[in-house]
Amino acid sequence: MTRRQEILDTVSRVVAIPCCANKAAALLGDPEAELAELARIIEHDPGLTANLLKIVNASFFGGGKPMRTAGEAIRLLGTLQVLQFILSTGVAPSFVRRIGGYDLAPSMHLQHSVAVAMAARELGRVLGLDAPDYTFTAGLLAGVGKLLLGAYVQVDVKAILDLAMEQGLSFDRAEDAVLGINHAEVGGILLQSWGLPSEITEVVCHHLRPDEAPETDTVLDLVHIGNALAKMIGVGLGVDGLNYIPSATVIQRLGLTAGIVDRVCANVVDELRSVRHLFMECAEDACPV
Amino acid sequence: MALHIVTISDMKLSAAREDVVVTYSLGSCLGVTAHDPKAGVGGMVHCLLPHAGAAREKARANPFMFVNTGVAMMVRRLMDRGAEKRRLVFKAAGGANMRGDNLFNTGARNFEALGKLLERNSVTLSASDVGGTVPRTMFLHLDTGRVVVRSLGEEKDL
Repeated sequence: MTRRQEILDTVSRVVAIPCCANKAAALLGDPEAELAELARIIEHDPGLTANLLKIVNASFFGGGKPMRTAGEAIRLLGTLQVLQFILSTGVAPSFVRRIGGYDLAPSMHLQHSVAVAMAARELGRVLGLDAPDYTFTAGLLAGVGKLLLGAYVQVDVKAILDLAMEQGLSFDRAEDAVLGINHAEVGGILLQSWGLPSEITEVVCHHLRPDEAPETDTVLDLVHIGNALAKMIGVGLGVDGLNYIPSATVIQRLGLTAGIVDRVCANVVDELRSVRHLFMECAEDACPV
Repeated sequence: MALHIVTISDMKLSAAREDVVVTYSLGSCLGVTAHDPKAGVGGMVHCLLPHAGAAREKARANPFMFVNTGVAMMVRRLMDRGAEKRRLVFKAAGGANMRGDNLFNTGARNFEALGKLLERNSVTLSASDVGGTVPRTMFLHLDTGRVVVRSLGEEKDL
């Protein structure tokens, strides 16, 4: 079995993504808890969002309309009891505490994912694009493949890193060379197998190399640049650091300038401060990941 | 010993010899330390962007977001705590860029802004570890003014 097949085989057995459900679980036990606050927590956690979208897009709940944001899903479900079920299925017992290979503490991956989502959304706003709400979801889930490779597959990241450094490759190209697959593709395949809408899975799959996507897509462009901005801002960087190539085609298509990028980065850093308490709830000691 | 953590667009200083100031996860941002060995006071600022001109209202709310206003404000605060400008030892780390990025160039612009600011004030940068695509963590040890940069699991003195 090739390394790629081995990874895909593992991905097919993953039933839930690691998440930080502590605060959400505490709220569920509080009769005074606001549904809006619960939604806010879920919206900022890639594991909870992915698990939730998996459930609501399954045939049991399916009303035909694909659910693309945590908010839509929560409105559909409506009751705290059902949400409790989702949270309980979202926290598998065997999760490792750290994303070992990628040198990411759980709260670091969470912060990075939120920063990508915020940067993609904010970029759309600053550019005056009428980007759909699921831009945030796609950004939040873009790095989910890294979480999977780190948590379920024993990836030797040093080999990937060494190859990238020696041959001057971007990190995803080095992943391809060592693993036969990169973390963007892994994430896209997992979410596709869970029945998430193709608008999201395609973005996740191609967010590192949008030029290879079958067609152009504004959400993909925004998430691609949002991912780069989150890395430049430096939130939750792993060993892969800033070793990814921003697409010149996307930069041109969006009409980006250094001034626009600076403004977006400044706004994202301010916005990150407003959700800082969520990250604190997912500190390593408290997190099941 | 107290560990003072500097977040993005933030500054911390200390005059306690046993203290350490640290900033984690520097990407394109620039970490700048200034230490007065005689007064025993030092600080670190973590700047996101080169110039306050990018968003003036944000600079008024938080000068540490920008290199030109953040480093100047840190020096002012250190002088309030007894440092003398001519004795300050400046070091910098961070300023990485995305691979092959010729447009955003935020890391390089941040370092260039620091260079211009220091030059205008006739100050020399003692040491730096900037550029590339790697993330960095920067430590300032108040006892000696020693600055350590950690990247990809390896540490080195600046």
